[in-house]
Amino acid sequence: MPPKQTKGEYIETDTGNKVSRKSVILGSQNIILGGKTIIQADCTIRGDLRRTVAPGQNSGNVAIAVGRYCFLSRSSVLRPPGRTHQKTFSYYPMKIGDHVFVGEGCVVEAALIGSYVHIAKDCVIGKFAIIKDCVKIEEGTVIAPNTVIPSFSLVSGRPGVVIDELPETAQEGLECRSPNHLMRSIR
Amino acid sequence: MPPKPRPSEAVAKPPTVLASSVVIAEAASLTGTFPIKIGANTVIHPRAKLTSAQGPITIGEHCIICERTQICPPGAEGLVIEDGVVVEVNAVVEGSVGAGSVVEVGVRIGKGGSVGLNCKLGPLTKVLEGEVIEDNTVIFGSGQRRVDASGTADARRRLLERHIESLRVLIPSNPSKFVN
Repeated sequence: MPPKQTKGEYIETDTGNKVSRKSVILGSQNIILGGKTIIQADCTIRGDLRRTVAPGQNSGNVAIAVGRYCFLSRSSVLRPPGRTHQKTFSYYPMKIGDHVFVGEGCVVEAALIGSYVHIAKDCVIGKFAIIKDCVKIEEGTVIAPNTVIPSFSLVSGRPGVVIDELPETAQEGLECRSPNHLMRSIR
Repeated sequence: MPPKPRPSEAVAKPPTVLASSVVIAEAASLTGTFPIKIGANTVIHPRAKLTSAQGPITIGEHCIICERTQICPPGAEGLVIEDGVVVEVNAVVEGSVGAGSVVEVGVRIGKGGSVGLNCKLGPLTKVLEGEVIEDNTVIFGSGQRRVDASGTADARRRLLERHIESLRVLIPSNPSKFVN
Protein backbone atom coordinates (compact mmCIF):
# COMPACT_ATOMS: atom_id res chain seq x y z
CA MET A 1 0.00 0.00 0.00
CA PRO A 2 1.36 3.45 -0.78
CA PRO A 3 2.03 5.67 2.23
CA LYS A 4 -0.76 7.95 3.25
CA GLN A 5 -0.85 11.11 1.20
CA THR A 6 -0.55 14.10 3.46
CA LYS A 7 0.09 17.72 2.72
CA GLY A 8 2.31 18.23 5.75
CA GLU A 9 5.54 20.13 5.82
CA TYR A 10 7.57 16.93 5.60
CA ILE A 11 7.92 14.43 2.80
CA GLU A 12 8.59 10.93 4.07
CA THR A 13 10.65 8.60 1.92
CA ASP A 14 10.41 4.79 1.77
CA THR A 15 13.27 4.41 4.24
CA GLY A 16 11.67 6.79 6.73
CA ASN A 17 13.60 9.94 6.00
CA LYS A 18 11.62 13.09 6.68
CA VAL A 19 12.59 15.92 4.41
CA SER A 20 11.06 19.36 4.75
CA ARG A 21 9.51 20.81 1.64
CA LYS A 22 11.17 24.09 2.52
CA SER A 23 14.68 22.65 2.46
CA VAL A 24 17.03 23.38 -0.43
CA ILE A 25 18.48 20.16 -1.80
CA LEU A 26 20.65 20.53 -4.87
CA GLY A 27 21.92 17.58 -6.86
CA SER A 28 19.70 15.09 -5.06
CA GLN A 29 20.93 12.27 -7.32
CA ASN A 30 24.31 12.54 -5.57
CA ILE A 31 22.93 12.40 -2.02
CA ILE A 32 22.34 9.24 0.00
CA LEU A 33 20.21 9.34 3.13
CA GLY A 34 20.48 6.21 5.27
CA GLY A 35 16.94 6.30 6.62
CA LYS A 36 15.06 7.86 9.56
CA THR A 37 16.94 11.06 8.92
CA ILE A 38 15.14 14.34 9.47
CA ILE A 39 15.93 17.40 7.38
CA GLN A 40 14.28 20.57 8.63
CA ALA A 41 13.21 23.67 6.75
CA ASP A 42 15.78 25.97 5.16
CA CYS A 43 18.53 23.33 5.24
CA THR A 44 20.85 23.51 2.28
CA ILE A 45 22.51 20.35 0.99
CA ARG A 46 24.91 20.78 -1.92
CA GLY A 47 24.86 17.43 -3.65
CA ASP A 48 25.67 19.15 -6.94
CA LEU A 49 29.26 19.80 -5.83
CA ARG A 50 30.52 16.38 -6.81
CA ARG A 51 33.92 15.16 -7.87
CA THR A 52 35.18 16.59 -11.12
CA VAL A 53 38.35 14.52 -11.41
CA ALA A 54 38.05 11.01 -12.79
CA PRO A 55 36.37 9.08 -9.99
CA GLY A 56 38.29 6.20 -8.43
CA GLN A 57 37.25 2.60 -8.84
CA ASN A 58 34.96 2.57 -5.83
CA SER A 59 34.05 6.21 -5.24
CA GLY A 60 31.12 6.38 -7.62
CA ASN A 61 29.33 9.67 -7.89
CA VAL A 62 28.12 10.22 -4.34
CA ALA A 63 28.71 13.74 -3.02
CA ILE A 64 27.07 13.44 0.39
CA ALA A 65 26.27 10.24 2.28
CA VAL A 66 24.28 10.57 5.50
CA GLY A 67 23.66 7.64 7.85
CA ARG A 68 20.57 6.67 9.83
CA TYR A 69 18.81 8.67 12.55
CA CYS A 70 20.50 11.94 11.67
CA PHE A 71 18.90 15.28 12.41
CA LEU A 72 19.68 18.35 10.36
CA SER A 73 18.20 21.40 12.06
CA ARG A 74 16.83 24.54 10.51
CA SER A 75 19.17 26.64 8.32
CA SER A 76 22.07 24.22 8.48
CA VAL A 77 24.28 23.80 5.42
CA LEU A 78 26.04 20.65 4.25
CA ARG A 79 28.50 21.18 1.43
CA PRO A 80 31.25 18.83 0.32
CA PRO A 81 34.82 20.11 0.83
CA GLY A 82 36.91 21.01 -2.18
CA ARG A 83 40.60 21.55 -2.85
CA THR A 84 43.10 21.73 -5.65
CA HIS A 85 45.07 18.54 -6.08
CA GLN A 86 47.54 18.00 -8.92
CA LYS A 87 46.51 21.22 -10.61
CA THR A 88 42.80 20.44 -10.77
CA PHE A 89 40.20 21.58 -8.31
CA SER A 90 37.70 19.01 -7.19
CA TYR A 91 35.09 18.55 -4.52
CA TYR A 92 35.37 15.39 -2.45
CA PRO A 93 32.59 13.28 -0.99
CA MET A 94 31.37 13.97 2.52
CA LYS A 95 30.39 11.10 4.79
CA ILE A 96 28.23 11.41 7.85
CA GLY A 97 27.61 8.45 10.19
CA ASP A 98 24.53 7.51 12.20
CA HIS A 99 22.91 9.51 15.02
CA VAL A 100 24.48 12.79 14.01
CA PHE A 101 22.75 15.95 15.20
CA VAL A 102 23.53 19.16 13.35
CA GLY A 103 22.25 22.28 15.11
CA GLU A 104 20.61 25.39 13.72
CA GLY A 105 22.65 27.56 11.40
CA CYS A 106 25.66 25.22 11.23
CA VAL A 107 27.85 25.12 8.14
CA VAL A 108 29.46 21.71 7.72
CA GLU A 109 32.23 21.13 5.17
CA ALA A 110 33.79 18.13 6.89
CA ALA A 111 35.17 15.17 4.96
CA LEU A 112 34.03 12.65 7.55
CA ILE A 113 31.78 12.77 10.58
CA GLY A 114 31.53 9.57 12.61
CA SER A 115 28.50 8.26 14.47
CA TYR A 116 26.99 9.76 17.63
CA VAL A 117 28.21 13.27 16.98
CA HIS A 118 26.34 16.25 18.39
CA ILE A 119 27.02 19.60 16.78
CA ALA A 120 25.33 22.45 18.64
CA LYS A 121 23.96 25.47 16.86
CA ASP A 122 25.94 28.09 14.90
CA CYS A 123 29.04 25.94 14.48
CA VAL A 124 31.32 26.01 11.46
CA ILE A 125 33.08 22.78 10.60
CA GLY A 126 35.96 23.57 8.25
CA LYS A 127 36.90 21.87 5.02
CA PHE A 128 38.24 18.31 5.25
CA ALA A 129 37.78 18.14 9.01
CA ILE A 130 37.49 14.59 10.33
CA ILE A 131 35.33 14.06 13.38
CA LYS A 132 35.41 10.58 14.92
CA ASP A 133 32.62 8.82 16.83
CA CYS A 134 31.01 10.15 20.04
CA VAL A 135 31.97 13.79 19.90
CA LYS A 136 30.13 16.77 21.27
CA ILE A 137 30.76 20.18 19.76
CA GLU A 138 29.58 23.18 21.73
CA GLU A 139 27.65 26.17 20.46
CA GLY A 140 29.46 28.62 18.20
CA THR A 141 32.56 26.48 17.75
CA VAL A 142 34.68 27.00 14.63
CA ILE A 143 36.62 23.90 13.66
CA ALA A 144 39.58 24.77 11.46
CA PRO A 145 40.04 23.08 8.08
CA ASN A 146 41.81 19.67 8.11
CA THR A 147 41.34 19.21 11.87
CA VAL A 148 41.01 15.67 13.22
CA ILE A 149 38.87 15.35 16.35
CA PRO A 150 39.36 12.07 18.27
CA SER A 151 36.54 9.99 19.74
CA PHE A 152 34.91 10.93 23.07
CA SER A 153 35.91 14.59 22.88
CA LEU A 154 34.14 17.72 23.98
CA VAL A 155 35.12 20.51 21.60
CA SER A 156 34.70 24.24 22.05
CA GLY A 157 36.18 27.59 21.07
CA ARG A 158 37.49 29.43 18.02
CA PRO A 159 39.38 27.55 16.71
CA GLY A 160 37.73 24.50 18.23
CA VAL A 161 39.97 22.50 20.53
CA VAL A 162 39.30 19.47 22.69
CA ILE A 163 38.53 20.88 26.14
CA ASP A 164 37.37 17.70 27.86
CA GLU A 165 36.78 13.98 27.46
CA LEU A 166 33.32 12.48 27.38
CA PRO A 167 32.55 9.53 29.64
CA GLU A 168 32.36 6.04 28.15
CA THR A 169 28.59 6.13 28.50
CA ALA A 170 28.34 9.19 26.22
CA GLN A 171 26.89 7.22 23.34
CA GLU A 172 23.50 6.84 25.04
CA GLY A 173 23.17 10.57 25.54
CA LEU A 174 24.10 11.29 21.95
CA GLU A 175 21.57 8.97 20.34
CA CYS A 176 19.05 10.65 18.05
CA ARG A 177 16.61 7.73 17.91
CA SER A 178 13.30 9.60 18.14
CA PRO A 179 14.22 11.69 21.17
CA ASN A 180 11.09 13.46 22.30
CA HIS A 181 12.34 16.99 21.96
CA LEU A 182 13.35 16.39 18.36
CA MET A 183 10.25 14.56 17.22
CA ARG A 184 7.85 16.96 18.85
CA SER A 185 9.27 19.85 16.90
CA ILE A 186 8.25 18.38 13.55
CA ARG A 187 4.79 17.07 14.32
CA MET B 1 8.64 31.60 8.34
CA PRO B 2 6.57 33.14 5.56
CA PRO B 3 6.83 31.34 2.23
CA LYS B 4 9.39 32.78 -0.15
CA PRO B 5 7.88 34.67 -3.05
CA ARG B 6 8.28 32.87 -6.33
CA PRO B 7 10.81 34.49 -8.62
CA SER B 8 8.27 35.70 -11.12
CA GLU B 9 7.71 38.76 -13.21
CA ALA B 10 5.93 40.36 -10.26
CA VAL B 11 9.31 41.25 -8.75
CA ALA B 12 11.00 43.91 -10.85
CA LYS B 13 14.39 42.85 -12.17
CA PRO B 14 17.22 45.23 -11.46
CA PRO B 15 19.14 46.50 -14.48
CA THR B 16 21.83 43.85 -14.74
CA VAL B 17 25.09 43.76 -16.66
CA LEU B 18 26.57 40.27 -16.80
CA ALA B 19 29.83 39.48 -18.56
CA SER B 20 29.43 36.62 -21.02
CA SER B 21 31.56 34.18 -19.02
CA VAL B 22 29.65 34.64 -15.75
CA VAL B 23 28.37 31.44 -14.15
CA ILE B 24 25.15 32.29 -12.36
CA ALA B 25 22.82 29.64 -11.00
CA GLU B 26 19.16 29.96 -11.73
CA ALA B 27 18.30 29.87 -8.03
CA ALA B 28 20.40 32.93 -7.26
CA SER B 29 18.39 36.00 -6.45
CA LEU B 30 19.06 39.43 -7.86
CA THR B 31 16.59 42.02 -6.64
CA GLY B 32 16.37 45.76 -6.23
CA THR B 33 16.25 48.81 -8.43
CA PHE B 34 19.87 49.96 -8.76
CA PRO B 35 22.14 48.36 -11.37
CA ILE B 36 24.03 45.14 -10.65
CA LYS B 37 27.26 44.59 -12.58
CA ILE B 38 29.06 41.25 -12.54
CA GLY B 39 32.51 40.81 -14.11
CA ALA B 40 33.89 38.00 -16.23
CA ASN B 41 34.46 34.49 -14.83
CA THR B 42 32.55 35.19 -11.63
CA VAL B 43 30.50 32.37 -10.09
CA ILE B 44 27.24 33.02 -8.26
CA HIS B 45 26.03 29.94 -6.38
CA PRO B 46 22.33 29.13 -6.06
CA ARG B 47 20.50 31.00 -3.27
CA ALA B 48 22.98 33.84 -3.13
CA LYS B 49 21.10 37.07 -2.55
CA LEU B 50 22.12 40.30 -4.18
CA THR B 51 19.83 43.15 -3.20
CA SER B 52 20.36 46.49 -4.87
CA ALA B 53 17.42 48.28 -3.26
CA GLN B 54 19.65 50.93 -1.62
CA GLY B 55 22.50 51.25 -4.11
CA PRO B 56 24.34 49.71 -7.06
CA ILE B 57 26.39 46.50 -6.74
CA THR B 58 29.61 45.97 -8.70
CA ILE B 59 31.32 42.57 -8.59
CA GLY B 60 34.71 42.13 -10.27
CA GLU B 61 36.23 39.28 -12.24
CA HIS B 62 37.05 35.82 -10.87
CA CYS B 63 34.87 36.08 -7.78
CA ILE B 64 32.92 33.30 -6.07
CA ILE B 65 29.74 34.24 -4.24
CA CYS B 66 28.45 31.22 -2.31
CA GLU B 67 24.93 30.24 -1.33
CA ARG B 68 23.02 32.06 1.43
CA THR B 69 25.21 35.14 1.23
CA GLN B 70 23.54 38.51 1.34
CA ILE B 71 25.06 41.40 -0.51
CA CYS B 72 23.24 44.66 0.07
CA PRO B 73 24.77 48.09 -0.40
CA PRO B 74 24.14 50.47 2.49
CA GLY B 75 23.37 53.52 0.36
CA ALA B 76 23.42 55.20 -3.02
CA GLU B 77 27.24 55.22 -3.12
CA GLY B 78 26.95 51.47 -3.72
CA LEU B 79 29.13 48.51 -2.96
CA VAL B 80 32.13 47.21 -4.84
CA ILE B 81 33.54 43.70 -4.63
CA GLU B 82 36.84 43.74 -6.53
CA ASP B 83 38.50 40.96 -8.55
CA GLY B 84 39.28 37.54 -7.09
CA VAL B 85 37.12 37.74 -3.98
CA VAL B 86 35.57 34.66 -2.38
CA VAL B 87 32.46 35.22 -0.29
CA GLU B 88 31.57 32.06 1.62
CA VAL B 89 28.27 30.68 2.93
CA ASN B 90 26.09 32.82 5.21
CA ALA B 91 28.21 35.95 4.88
CA VAL B 92 26.48 39.32 5.03
CA VAL B 93 28.31 41.97 3.03
CA GLU B 94 27.24 45.60 3.41
CA GLY B 95 30.59 47.18 2.61
CA SER B 96 33.26 47.07 -0.05
CA VAL B 97 35.78 44.24 -0.37
CA GLY B 98 39.24 44.65 -1.96
CA ALA B 99 40.80 42.38 -4.56
CA GLY B 100 42.02 38.93 -3.54
CA SER B 101 40.24 38.95 -0.18
CA VAL B 102 38.50 35.94 1.31
CA VAL B 103 35.30 36.43 3.29
CA GLU B 104 34.74 33.21 5.19
CA VAL B 105 31.61 31.51 6.49
CA GLY B 106 29.20 33.69 8.45
CA VAL B 107 31.25 36.90 8.35
CA ARG B 108 29.37 40.18 8.71
CA ILE B 109 30.77 43.25 7.05
CA GLY B 110 28.87 46.17 8.57
CA LYS B 111 27.37 49.07 6.67
CA GLY B 112 29.97 51.11 4.84
CA GLY B 113 32.83 48.93 6.06
CA SER B 114 35.81 48.64 3.78
CA VAL B 115 38.11 45.63 3.48
CA GLY B 116 41.53 46.09 1.83
CA LEU B 117 43.40 43.96 -0.67
CA ASN B 118 44.25 40.30 0.04
CA CYS B 119 42.57 40.24 3.44
CA LYS B 120 41.21 37.13 5.04
CA LEU B 121 38.23 37.35 7.34
CA GLY B 122 37.97 34.11 9.31
CA PRO B 123 34.68 32.32 10.01
CA LEU B 124 32.09 34.21 12.08
CA THR B 125 34.22 37.34 12.48
CA LYS B 126 32.78 40.83 12.12
CA VAL B 127 33.77 44.09 10.51
CA LEU B 128 32.05 46.99 12.25
CA GLU B 129 30.04 49.70 10.51
CA GLY B 130 32.31 52.09 8.67
CA GLU B 131 35.45 50.25 9.76
CA VAL B 132 38.44 50.25 7.38
CA ILE B 133 40.54 47.07 7.27
CA GLU B 134 44.08 47.61 5.96
CA ASP B 135 45.53 45.50 3.12
CA ASN B 136 46.78 41.97 3.94
CA THR B 137 45.00 41.82 7.29
CA VAL B 138 43.90 38.46 8.65
CA ILE B 139 41.05 38.49 11.16
CA PHE B 140 40.70 35.23 13.02
CA GLY B 141 39.31 33.65 16.17
CA SER B 142 37.29 36.09 18.23
CA GLY B 143 38.47 39.19 16.38
CA GLN B 144 42.27 38.95 16.71
CA ARG B 145 44.19 40.51 13.85
CA ARG B 146 47.54 40.09 12.24
CA VAL B 147 49.19 41.17 9.01
CA ASP B 148 49.89 38.46 6.48
CA ALA B 149 53.38 39.06 5.04
CA SER B 150 53.66 35.73 3.23
CA GLY B 151 53.03 37.28 -0.19
CA THR B 152 51.03 34.31 -1.42
CA ALA B 153 48.38 36.38 -3.17
CA ASP B 154 49.40 35.27 -6.67
CA ALA B 155 49.40 31.59 -5.71
CA ARG B 156 45.98 31.95 -4.14
CA ARG B 157 44.72 33.64 -7.26
CA ARG B 158 45.83 30.68 -9.38
CA LEU B 159 44.05 28.23 -7.06
CA LEU B 160 40.94 30.36 -7.27
CA GLU B 161 41.01 30.30 -11.06
CA ARG B 162 41.13 26.49 -11.00
CA HIS B 163 38.27 26.43 -8.52
CA ILE B 164 36.20 28.57 -10.86
CA GLU B 165 36.99 26.31 -13.80
CA SER B 166 35.62 23.30 -11.91
CA LEU B 167 32.51 25.20 -10.79
CA ARG B 168 31.86 26.08 -14.42
CA VAL B 169 31.28 22.36 -15.01
CA LEU B 170 29.23 21.79 -11.85
CA ILE B 171 26.87 24.73 -11.73
CA PRO B 172 24.32 25.02 -14.52
CA SER B 173 24.37 28.65 -15.55
CA ASN B 174 21.37 30.60 -16.71
CA PRO B 175 22.31 34.24 -17.23
CA SER B 176 19.39 34.87 -19.55
CA LYS B 177 17.00 34.76 -16.60
CA PHE B 178 18.61 37.81 -15.05
CA VAL B 179 19.14 40.00 -18.08
CA ASN B 180 16.30 42.13 -19.29
